[in-house]
Amino acid sequence: MKRLTNFSAIAVTAMIVLMSSCSKDKRKPGTVYMPDMAYSRTFETYAELDSLKYTSDVNDKGGMKIFFNAMPAAGTIKRGEMFPYTLPNDSNGYKMSASVPNPIDFMTGAEMSEAARLYNINCAICHGEKGQANGPLSAKVGAIANLTLDLYKQMKDGTMFHSITYGRNNLGNMGSYASQLNRKQRWQVIKYVRTLQGPAVADSTTKAAVKDSAAIVKK
Amino acid sequence: MSRYRKIIKKVFASLLFIAFFSFNNSVMAADGEALFKANCANCHKPDKDYTGPALKGWSTRVPDAAWIYKWVANPAQMIASDAYSKTLFEKWKPTVMTGFSNLKKDEIDAIMKYVDDYAPPADPAGASAGQPATDNSLLFGILTLVLAVVAFILLQVNSNLRKLSDEKEGILRGEPVPFYRNKTYLMAGILLLFSLGGYYTIEGAIGLGRTKNYQPEQPIYYSHKVHAGVNQISCLYCHGSSQDSKTAGIPSVNVCMNCHMAIKEYAGEKIVKEDGTEVNGTAEIQKLYEYAGWNAATKSYNPDNNGDGVPDGAKPIEWVRIHNLPDHVYFNHSQHVKVGKQQCQTCHGNIQEMPEVYQFTDLSMGWCINCHRETKVDFLNKNTGEGNKFYSIYEKFHNDIKNKKMDSVTVESIGGTECQKCHY
Repeated sequence: MKRLTNFSAIAVTAMIVLMSSCSKDKRKPGTVYMPDMAYSRTFETYAELDSLKYTSDVNDKGGMKIFFNAMPAAGTIKRGEMFPYTLPNDSNGYKMSASVPNPIDFMTGAEMSEAARLYNINCAICHGEKGQANGPLSAKVGAIANLTLDLYKQMKDGTMFHSITYGRNNLGNMGSYASQLNRKQRWQVIKYVRTLQGPAVADSTTKAAVKDSAAIVKK
Repeated sequence: MSRYRKIIKKVFASLLFIAFFSFNNSVMAADGEALFKANCANCHKPDKDYTGPALKGWSTRVPDAAWIYKWVANPAQMIASDAYSKTLFEKWKPTVMTGFSNLKKDEIDAIMKYVDDYAPPADPAGASAGQPATDNSLLFGILTLVLAVVAFILLQVNSNLRKLSDEKEGILRGEPVPFYRNKTYLMAGILLLFSLGGYYTIEGAIGLGRTKNYQPEQPIYYSHKVHAGVNQISCLYCHGSSQDSKTAGIPSVNVCMNCHMAIKEYAGEKIVKEDGTEVNGTAEIQKLYEYAGWNAATKSYNPDNNGDGVPDGAKPIEWVRIHNLPDHVYFNHSQHVKVGKQQCQTCHGNIQEMPEVYQFTDLSMGWCINCHRETKVDFLNKNTGEGNKFYSIYEKFHNDIKNKKMDSVTVESIGGTECQKCHY
């Protein structure tokens, strides 16, 4: 009898311990087998740096620390990347950007559909799939450019590139997309936007010429 | 009779007349609406100030009725020459309205008529109140317990009754064994304990190191449901590096600010946490501004006075990582997203419906292998040229497909279940 009571007491405690140790708190990640195999000793993306060894502060020269800020070294260009865009982010740079030509003059079908995909991911959310400023977020962000308007048909590629690179924060609500699209992708997306806009409108001088020719025909 | 006919004719004619006019009106208004939405709605609301002023009641504010045509055609010129335009510019600067010289006078009339007649749409009656999810497991537990007690009592009653009937009939039986010494009961109890204990031990051992359903609290209550679900933002807008890199990438704060420079408050459906507390979306956006070092009042980043390259007060958001593979497994996002053309949802679940993200799959090896066995690769079709050209080197499979020995190539057949593919 006594043995039985002891036995059952042990069994019940064991059960309770086992079950409580396995009860999962979803806010905690739990434990792992062999942590030295699970956690990397080399640096993984977003891993915390040991502030005793590394610093991201350029001015911290006193502590003999290793400087590390995950940015490419200044003045270097990634292999295959286009040359940097040098015009500054101010009104003067904006004006000068109109004279910068689009370095891409021909795109294959595959490149175009890739540009369309990038446009639909990054731009269509506000500017709309057809560029008519009716994307899902357009009403919430506000002041979205309707890219099919004459104003934007006449806008130069370089000016568009300037706006995508630096954003139009001071006038509109557009931020910089330099971190989401690399230089080549930006120029390609501009090419794709041109296909959305349809035929370019004639600017005022050619319009006048057309009028004149019409008049001549009437005569 | 003819008199009636006359009256009917008259009534019919007037009805037709009214119908024609009201129809005509609605066409005008709809036209105005379409034009307004295409050209003006990005900066103007009829009844509220937005990027530009509210347009309703415009005619009482402008100096004369013809002013509007001149203004719409060329605002910049008007600001330079006209006094009222100048006060308008002072109020709304630095934003200057875009000129719409393409709009004709009757189109402007239609827009302005639409604006003046505009009535805000009535709120949909009875905003859907979220049904609190009821958890029935407690109820079922109690019910099971009650039933077990009842069964036990019935068993006792049964044995007592048998004892009584035995006594009546004069059959002699030994003193009945109490239930806790009854061998059948003991055996059943031990078996139950053994199987339960075994189940939980094995379950716990397999689950060690797996974090399915892990749902940590994040520094900002960021709802994927609001962003990816309601507002339909593509996953790749923020996690773009999953196309080009091993890591999916947490967006840097500037990507958040692309939209949140303009979106200052949360006005969507109420967000309620699982514990019933309501989330103040606007306060969460304020938290983002603090991390970004953004001043919402002046609409600019804080100046960088301490020279560390970021606005003063800005600091990175320390998001808590949810999906994590052990170091002895190699996993590359770009290989799956760009080459394999997998949807994010295949591994991460319906993220666009999760207010708070949790780990949807267990990310176990069995799960990986299973998918590699079932998934077909985008194998090059040599006749049409469709598919991934990388696979042109698999001569044997091309021959097998030609000879109808196999119809498709899975990840497994190109070595997707080899150990060294992921463990090296």
